[in-house]
Amino acid sequence: MDEFEKRLKRDANAVQAEVSPELRSRIDASLRGVEPLNAAPVVQSSPARLWWASSLTGLVAVLVLIVVANLNKPDTDSVQQEVTAGLTEPPMPVERPFLSPNLDIRSADFTSPLEEELLKLQADIEKARENVRKDVDFTF
Amino acid sequence: MLTDEQLVQASLQGGANAFDELVGRYQERLLRFLLTRSSCRADAEDAVQDTFISAYRYLASFDPRWRFSTWIYRIALRNLGKQRRLEYHESDEALAAEDDPMQNCIDHSERENVWLVARRLLTPEAYTAMWLRYVEDMSVKEISKSLDKSLSWTKVTLLRGRRRLTAELAVERTGASQRESYGRI
Repeated sequence: MDEFEKRLKRDANAVQAEVSPELRSRIDASLRGVEPLNAAPVVQSSPARLWWASSLTGLVAVLVLIVVANLNKPDTDSVQQEVTAGLTEPPMPVERPFLSPNLDIRSADFTSPLEEELLKLQADIEKARENVRKDVDFTF
Repeated sequence: MLTDEQLVQASLQGGANAFDELVGRYQERLLRFLLTRSSCRADAEDAVQDTFISAYRYLASFDPRWRFSTWIYRIALRNLGKQRRLEYHESDEALAAEDDPMQNCIDHSERENVWLVARRLLTPEAYTAMWLRYVEDMSVKEISKSLDKSLSWTKVTLLRGRRRLTAELAVERTGASQRESYGRI
């Protein structure tokens, strides 16, 4: 304990705080009139323990919904057969829509630019060949 | 000699004199602390009385992991807070020096009581933290529990309070030595 701490303690003790007999009798009298309360029982929080119950309930609810939805789902083939059963014509299989891509495009649309390019290249080669030939004839 | 906590247990088991013993141990300590914080002696005495009544009533809720002093000071501080709020509503007038119970009950010496300096310089909470640390010898953890503050707040407050007071006392010493040297001249 350093000097500072000693001084703090010394000066605190310098504060005169004698309890008068009147105050003590007041305290005793008031304590006699007070009933101590029993400690309230600590209530355990149920959500922490029963977290699985809510999860299980949710899972069961989802399963029930799936089962109910499947039971109530109309069977299209059997319905069609029931409808056509009374007719004279033999039942026809129901055509299911089939989506096919539109392939009605000419191949020329894709190839014509390349063909033009090929012709140009061939013309250029021909010109180059002519030039070479002229040069050869001129040289020799 | 039984500890405070053993006396609490004895009181809970119906020991008639156990709580009287606790009152005897703490009445003067609590009154001394409350005198330095209340606006008059009557308020300090009322706060002491209310503190013991609350402690006795709720003794069963005392957590034996903590020291009894921590718990009872916490109750005393709550009572003090209630009193302060009442006073605030009743009157906004500043405390007159002649009514100050601390001024009236300290030994008049040449130098100023350091707790008067502390009360002037520090916030009420910092003052209380310093009192609990250096007069009641409470640990930082116990002080933070009593004041319902964090450990870091308590540490920083104690450090700042100590620095502030040390600096003030150093100035006081310098002034005194200067006065002595002037006197010699």
